[in-house]
Amino acid sequence: MSTPTISGPRKDAVAPSQRKVSVLTKLNHYKWLYLMLIPGIAYFAVFKYAPMYGITIAFQDYLPFLGYSGSPWVGFKHFQALFSGPDFPRIMGNTLILAALHVLITFPAPIIVALLLNELRIEWVKRAVQSSIYIPHFLGWTIVASLTFLLFGLDPGPITKVASSLLGHQVDFLADPAWFRPLIILQSLWKGTGWGTIIYLAALTGVDPNLYEAARIDGASRWRQMWHITLPAIRSTVVVMAILLAGNLLDTGFEQIYLMMNSLNRSVADVFDTYVYIMGITQGAFSYSTAVGLFKAAIGIVLIFGANWLARKFGQSGLF
Amino acid sequence: MKRRTFLGLSSAATAAALAGCGTSNKTTTSSDLSTLTVMAPVLDVQAPSKDGLLQKAIQEYAGRTLDITWVPNANYTDRLTVTLAGNQLPHLMVVTSKSPTFVRSALAGAFWDLTDRLKAYPNLVAANPDITKNASVNGKSFGVFRLRDPMRTSVTYRNDWLTKLGLQLPKTTDDLYEVAKAFKSLSGGAIIIPKFNGYGNGSPFDIIETWFGAPNGWGERGGKLVPSFDTDEYLEADRWIKKLVDEKLINADFATMDPTKWNDPFVQGKGGIILDTFSRTTQIYGLFKALDATDYGRSVDFTGNLAGPHGMHSYPTIGYNGFIAVSKQSVKTAADLDTVLKFLDTMSAKKGQVLENNGIEGTSFTVDGSYAVFTKGGDADVVNNDVKSFAQLGTNPNGNLYYVTKPANATEQAVYERRLKTQEGDMTSAVQNPANALVSDTYMSKGAQLDQIIGDARLKYFAGQFTQDQYTAEIKRWHTEGGDQVIKEMNELYAK
Amino acid sequence: MRPPIPAITAPVTRRKLNHYGSAGSRVFDTLNVVLLIMLGLLTILPFIFVIAGSFAHDAEISQRGFFLWPEAATLETYRFVFSTPVFPRALAITIGVTVVGTLVQVLMTFLMAYPLSRRALPGRNMILNLVIFTMVFSGGMIPTFLVVRDLGLIDTYFALFLPLAINPFYLIIVKNFFQELPEELQESARIDGATEVGVFWRIILPLSKPILATFALFYAVGIWNDYMSPLLYINDSTKWTLQMFVRQVTISAEALGNLDPNYVPPAQSLKFAVIVVATLPILMFYPFLQKHFTKGMLIGSVKG
Repeated sequence: MSTPTISGPRKDAVAPSQRKVSVLTKLNHYKWLYLMLIPGIAYFAVFKYAPMYGITIAFQDYLPFLGYSGSPWVGFKHFQALFSGPDFPRIMGNTLILAALHVLITFPAPIIVALLLNELRIEWVKRAVQSSIYIPHFLGWTIVASLTFLLFGLDPGPITKVASSLLGHQVDFLADPAWFRPLIILQSLWKGTGWGTIIYLAALTGVDPNLYEAARIDGASRWRQMWHITLPAIRSTVVVMAILLAGNLLDTGFEQIYLMMNSLNRSVADVFDTYVYIMGITQGAFSYSTAVGLFKAAIGIVLIFGANWLARKFGQSGLF
Repeated sequence: MKRRTFLGLSSAATAAALAGCGTSNKTTTSSDLSTLTVMAPVLDVQAPSKDGLLQKAIQEYAGRTLDITWVPNANYTDRLTVTLAGNQLPHLMVVTSKSPTFVRSALAGAFWDLTDRLKAYPNLVAANPDITKNASVNGKSFGVFRLRDPMRTSVTYRNDWLTKLGLQLPKTTDDLYEVAKAFKSLSGGAIIIPKFNGYGNGSPFDIIETWFGAPNGWGERGGKLVPSFDTDEYLEADRWIKKLVDEKLINADFATMDPTKWNDPFVQGKGGIILDTFSRTTQIYGLFKALDATDYGRSVDFTGNLAGPHGMHSYPTIGYNGFIAVSKQSVKTAADLDTVLKFLDTMSAKKGQVLENNGIEGTSFTVDGSYAVFTKGGDADVVNNDVKSFAQLGTNPNGNLYYVTKPANATEQAVYERRLKTQEGDMTSAVQNPANALVSDTYMSKGAQLDQIIGDARLKYFAGQFTQDQYTAEIKRWHTEGGDQVIKEMNELYAK
Repeated sequence: MRPPIPAITAPVTRRKLNHYGSAGSRVFDTLNVVLLIMLGLLTILPFIFVIAGSFAHDAEISQRGFFLWPEAATLETYRFVFSTPVFPRALAITIGVTVVGTLVQVLMTFLMAYPLSRRALPGRNMILNLVIFTMVFSGGMIPTFLVVRDLGLIDTYFALFLPLAINPFYLIIVKNFFQELPEELQESARIDGATEVGVFWRIILPLSKPILATFALFYAVGIWNDYMSPLLYINDSTKWTLQMFVRQVTISAEALGNLDPNYVPPAQSLKFAVIVVATLPILMFYPFLQKHFTKGMLIGSVKG
């Protein structure tokens, strides 16, 4: 089999007037690339797009036994139920506040830690810390909740004791609505920061150490070195991660919230995912949760493309 | 060269993926019921092997092979869902609760209606008709229910504290109050209650409300069904509970304490009273036994239900845990159904029950009087493990005919016998919930939310976040946000 | 004829950079070390608690709250875990599925990411849009299950990694990474007659070591931690993976909602032991890959 050579500008460039031929030639030109795409496209077609019809149950009163063709159609009933429910504004508010906290705190944390790790000079500390901070990622939320109850619980909770003596009055972390969001963010930070640093540290491997050397010789301070060398190196990664976060903005994670929620803090704790769960363990479960998922996805896609557009405006390549 | 290997690899992967090399789908089109397909949850960490001794013994006894898919119960409902959606239901399916999905599917024709058929099978006739009622969907039985203890309520105490304080076991709620006060002065705590979501799920609060004479969930007042929180006794009970909370006779973190750690404060001596079930009592005995193998009997004691200010009212269970349902799709004709029901009937006979709940006599256990003594070692261990899972397949509507495990020593023997007596005694004053059999449409679509209103309001009242007026206002909200509709539907169904 | 490939110089070892000298810098360094050590402790101590709990008696776990060393250690729980045929088998299965699955997933992702990194490719934007769409829209559990079933993959190990073969997030990130690789290298290879595949295999991949390592890790962990796929697609209990056990022993009765009254909850030490057994193997994977995260791996390749 002769190897087609792909060299520079084609010597037999076709005139623009012969358009049809040009398209085919183009395809031929890139045929190896298209071949390489086949497994991926097959995957997306089979496992992502073939099941897409499942979205339609958002407009049905779906019962698994009756299937997609047998379940009755109800149009926008579930969306109406969602938006007109008396709890909707509160749920929306809680979800947005938590989302904002994630954007402001949980998202930057791995970046900062990655930068700090990058600045570490002592190798053994760096390796040791890197090896331990990602461990919490592997512990399921049930265990994290268990630990939270143990440490922040009213009775024997060591942290509760310390906090209460510092603040001068009995603190009830688990029941007090005011502490719910801080606890959630703390849990997310603990569980996710270490793992999140991995991608940024990988990006930082692309930085030439000689650049630092050169900058130092030129008299740049540490701060300037970070500003001009380190940060630009991870900028594109940060932008992509941010855009991807935008797409999942309204996802707060069901299990984590559900485990920490109780009768006393429900007013701040209830978010979309837990609301759907409660509505969902009753009739219309699947349809209702799919409808909510559709709602979240619609917002997500708008945010993704919006964020991408924003990134392009600032000169970044974004997702494309 | 490398390039080609590369492409070869990727296309092979794709091809393999698409062609799949899985086992063929099980088709259940034939009427051949010599092998019954079953889907059941497994609660343990291991599922029985299909070549295990126990399965072989059961198959031999029942005269047919069993193809059992054991699903970890952690997400059994998801499995149930996809199985229903996939239209490849096994012949027999364990359904763990009367969920709306189950009810709607049953009413849509997924499962056989067994209401009038069961009486033809002697071992499938319920010994306790109350349970059949509880398990029904507006009177219809869509499966054979799995029998569980009808009365489990027990109050566990630190007996050594009682002795030290010179107190007797409480008989009434007033006694309980006195004991709690005395415990508090001794150790700083008395009653331990962890977090319970919702309402009407057997929490200590529900138990106490029943003791005070409130209905269990729903009750008949003046010929109509009313929810328990609409009665005076309910509010009276809650006021009493609030008094206990205010006097710190109930742990302050009752709304947030991790329920998996319920036993810990008891063991640590931070409280001495737990209102729950006999399972909890057994667990606590076990923990104290681990700490002191000889004298633990002196540290723990228990009573059953206590008498409230308006007499004795006991909090029962619904008496069953799910059903075994027969799929209409795979068991196509009435004749096939007969075969399947005969199988369940055989398994509910004494010999079948013994196999499912005890094991293989001689190999894994021996009979001592009316008890079973479990053998250890080798094959017996495997069988004893498998038994835990096969018990899930047992229905036993005709009553438990298998052998009870022999208590390990005299202390436990005494406990067991007293427990039986207590349960029997309490059953005479059991307060059943007539709404167990009724399925209201509005409750199916809004029930969980509505329950949450009550559950949250109750706890907020105890915690001091609501005054009594605010509490009753919340109860009113239950009514206006759909509760009134539920009451209407319940009464219509009840009248039938 | 093999096209000559520019030599990629050996990774530059980081020279120990000299002390910077400014006082502020030194303060920063000290604070940094302290902060990061605290972070390290904060994240490892709870895990030590889990390990300690796995060696303790239940009674002790009930009595003490949070501890790092059991007073009366016992091997009973681990003996139980390894005496049953189930755990070692699940461990072997999980390792096997993870290794094979990761290879497949990484291969498929990188194979798809490379063509998409070439901006001139016709149809590229459309494909990317379709990929991004799947990041938020999904058909759901039931239709996916039906597809898997119709492909005959139920009860096969393929079902444990194929349905999640390409994570669109990862795909985008890898693609972006490829886009940032210096164009000159690829161009010079093409001029010398290499095919696209050749360029991919001989130029791009070797330069992608950190990215390969990163996503091998991410995909491996994804497969390892996944309990939904085995739960939905595996019927045969001899094919269970480790995560099935972890869910079984740690799921709280609350979340389940309707628990069998006859249910005896597992011993607390068993919970901890199962978590340890299910977590340690994958935890060891990262240090293994850490050597690929040394700085300056890519440098030198453009200079030649």
